[in-house]
Amino acid sequence: MIRRLSFTAAGVVVVIVLVVAFVGLFMLRRPGALEGTTTKLHLETVAAVGQANEWPRPNDPHPDWVGYLPTTTWKVPANSTIQVQIDQEDGASGLRNPFWGKVFGTEGGNMHVTYFDDKGNPQEGDMTSIDPTQAAHTFAIPDLGVFVPLLGVGDNAPPGTQNTITFSFKTRGPGIYRWQCFVPCAAGTLFGNGGPMQTIGYMGGTLIVT
Amino acid sequence: MGVFRIEEADRPHLLRLLIIWVVLSIVGILAALQIHYPPYDQSVQGQDQSRTLALLTILALPVFIGVVIMVLYSAIYFRRTTTELIDGPPMLGNTPVQIAWIAISAALVLFLAVVGIVTLASSNVAQAVNAPGRAIGQSGGQTGSGTAGGAGPELQVQVVAQQWYFTYRYADYGGVETTHLYLPVDRPVELHVTSLDIIHSFWAYQLGVKADANPGVDNIFHVTPQKTGSFQVRCAELCGLWHGHMADSEGQVVSQSEFDTWIAQQQKDYEVISKAVPSYAPFYFPEPLLKAG
Repeated sequence: MIRRLSFTAAGVVVVIVLVVAFVGLFMLRRPGALEGTTTKLHLETVAAVGQANEWPRPNDPHPDWVGYLPTTTWKVPANSTIQVQIDQEDGASGLRNPFWGKVFGTEGGNMHVTYFDDKGNPQEGDMTSIDPTQAAHTFAIPDLGVFVPLLGVGDNAPPGTQNTITFSFKTRGPGIYRWQCFVPCAAGTLFGNGGPMQTIGYMGGTLIVT
Repeated sequence: MGVFRIEEADRPHLLRLLIIWVVLSIVGILAALQIHYPPYDQSVQGQDQSRTLALLTILALPVFIGVVIMVLYSAIYFRRTTTELIDGPPMLGNTPVQIAWIAISAALVLFLAVVGIVTLASSNVAQAVNAPGRAIGQSGGQTGSGTAGGAGPELQVQVVAQQWYFTYRYADYGGVETTHLYLPVDRPVELHVTSLDIIHSFWAYQLGVKADANPGVDNIFHVTPQKTGSFQVRCAELCGLWHGHMADSEGQVVSQSEFDTWIAQQQKDYEVISKAVPSYAPFYFPEPLLKAG
């Protein structure tokens, strides 16, 4: 009887340890924050993090997942203007809510975009919105009221090119602000909202304001 | 069959219990009356819910206190003092006592059920407040029945949930979509709650509104804000990575004139994207359902 109880107790302990280890390792497995506190964010968006041009992650557990690089955890100073440049390399997959095709919360209420038009010609200009069907991702910090749609690379753009989106926004007081993409861009998951959309380090992250 | 009677020796216990129960019940009820019960009084429906909570607490307190002091008193005064294992005194029935406790319990439970049902029903009905002459509109379908800027029928507002944010569309103002929920004070509002992706739950805490947001469903709730100020909106249905952050503390109940100014600005800001957003509808089925693969 005691022997059986001992085996059962040992089994329970082993299961608990395994569960805690699994959850703990999962929680710890996330990209670190950008080194130091910065007022300039330079990011890259890619269809597959394993094939990125600027910050490839060859050892990523999900090399075929869509993601922001080099990380989605950023440290920025409070009450400051943050300048953002996003090198957008992914194609369009469209917004579920077209409303997010509008730019919110940036300085001047717009963004500057360099891109290739339908005929493959280079273009450049300030935009306050984009065609929601042509959105590849969004850069959104809802608690700061910042929502920026990112124009997808067109079908006729030269191979290997990117759209460059620049804008700036102001931070408020110290705190941790969640960041997310509003385009359901998780290929192969139901409604496009699984996998990378639900995992920090890909299409979700935090803005740490210090 | 014997009949349970209170022995002469037990009467002091009964008297003592009765005094403790009455005193603690009075103290408990007085304390309960000092509590401000959520969701407070920012809306007519919220105030009804707060009052109902207060009533339920006040009625439940004497019952709760009675049970607790009976248990504690028995544990202290009727505790077995020896280790000898013997049968306790036989339990005998007493018909009047049994009828009394069944009748009192049934009356309490039925009363509380009626109060709860009436409050629940009234919470989902448009209610006028101290605003003479303001008509309460009938549910006017999904296209909006109000008059822009006027103090007329119910204001129709659509709550659109998506992972992980709520946006709002005002049917009476050309279907303009906004990132925050503003409501005019003293005007009944008809909320149409829906979702673009998965199941969420729209919870405007201080307004006393909690409504499921299901894709393909137009879930209708009514609320009448009666005090100006801010309120919180959050999701009350576990909905993924950022469920805990699906909240907005910038909801506002404002005066009709402030609302008119705000909605006019929203309409102006909305123009740039208005053509790309689908016409106001009871709910939406964004296509394609399966994005990016």
